Amino acid sequence: MDPAQDAAVALRDIEAAEARSATLWGYQRSAPQFLLWGVLWVVGYGLNDVYPAYGHAIWAAIVPIGAAAGFASLRGAGHPIGWRYGAVAATLAAFCVAVCFVLWPIGGKQIAAVISLMVATAYVLAGIWRGPRYIVTGLVIAALTLLGFFLLRQHFFLWMAVVGGAALILAGIWLKRV
Amino acid sequence: MAQPDEVIHQQTRLKIMATLRAIPEREWIEFTRLRAIVETSDGNLGSHIAMLESAGYITVAKDFIGKRPRTRIRLTRTGRTAFTKHVEFLRTIIDTATTHGP
Repeated sequence: MDPAQDAAVALRDIEAAEARSATLWGYQRSAPQFLLWGVLWVVGYGLNDVYPAYGHAIWAAIVPIGAAAGFASLRGAGHPIGWRYGAVAATLAAFCVAVCFVLWPIGGKQIAAVISLMVATAYVLAGIWRGPRYIVTGLVIAALTLLGFFLLRQHFFLWMAVVGGAALILAGIWLKRV
Repeated sequence: MAQPDEVIHQQTRLKIMATLRAIPEREWIEFTRLRAIVETSDGNLGSHIAMLESAGYITVAKDFIGKRPRTRIRLTRTGRTAFTKHVEFLRTIIDTATTHGP
């Protein structure tokens, strides 16, 4: 083979291996976060279903617990935590709060649907840069949220606890796989 | 002029090195994950890993998670430098061919 052609093939192989490696490494690193938030959705939405009047208090406790556990798990695994992760989470949280204020008065189920759709959108956006599995996860979460909100509004919190939480847990397991 | 690295030049070892370079420095990759990315057999991957390890380009760590044995691999600083130089060599070949033309 022509040496230049040989070199071009080698560089293409390198590029492909690096891209696949970086994507899978990102999946592996983020998988525990999906598992964690899947469990927290089961607990949070489950409690929300049983005590609908205490939704704000329940999530005011769940979100800081999840954020702290998420940071602890990244730190425990020896992964560096860039300030951008915190900044992105804070921006999304601020956006959700702002949207809820703009739409006020807004019911608990509407707030839950808006936040879940926001999370799903964040996964899709992340997936455009970081890998298709995040896109699939985001689309599934968005579809399940809309399905539950429009077709099963009466049992929406229970739906999000069981189906939404399970979807996140399954996504975490999928992301851990090669 | 840059020279080819004979250890890295072989296709499977090139893919192994590229895979390892794509993850952050000092991070490990598990053997099974590396095998899936490089798309080769256990035996083949094992022999190429041994060759890269003997050249000082990678470090191999073996331990147990419960009862399950685990083999992890990471790039050494020497390996990272050697790989960078080899990529430079490949680019030089292409640049030279482009400059001088057919």
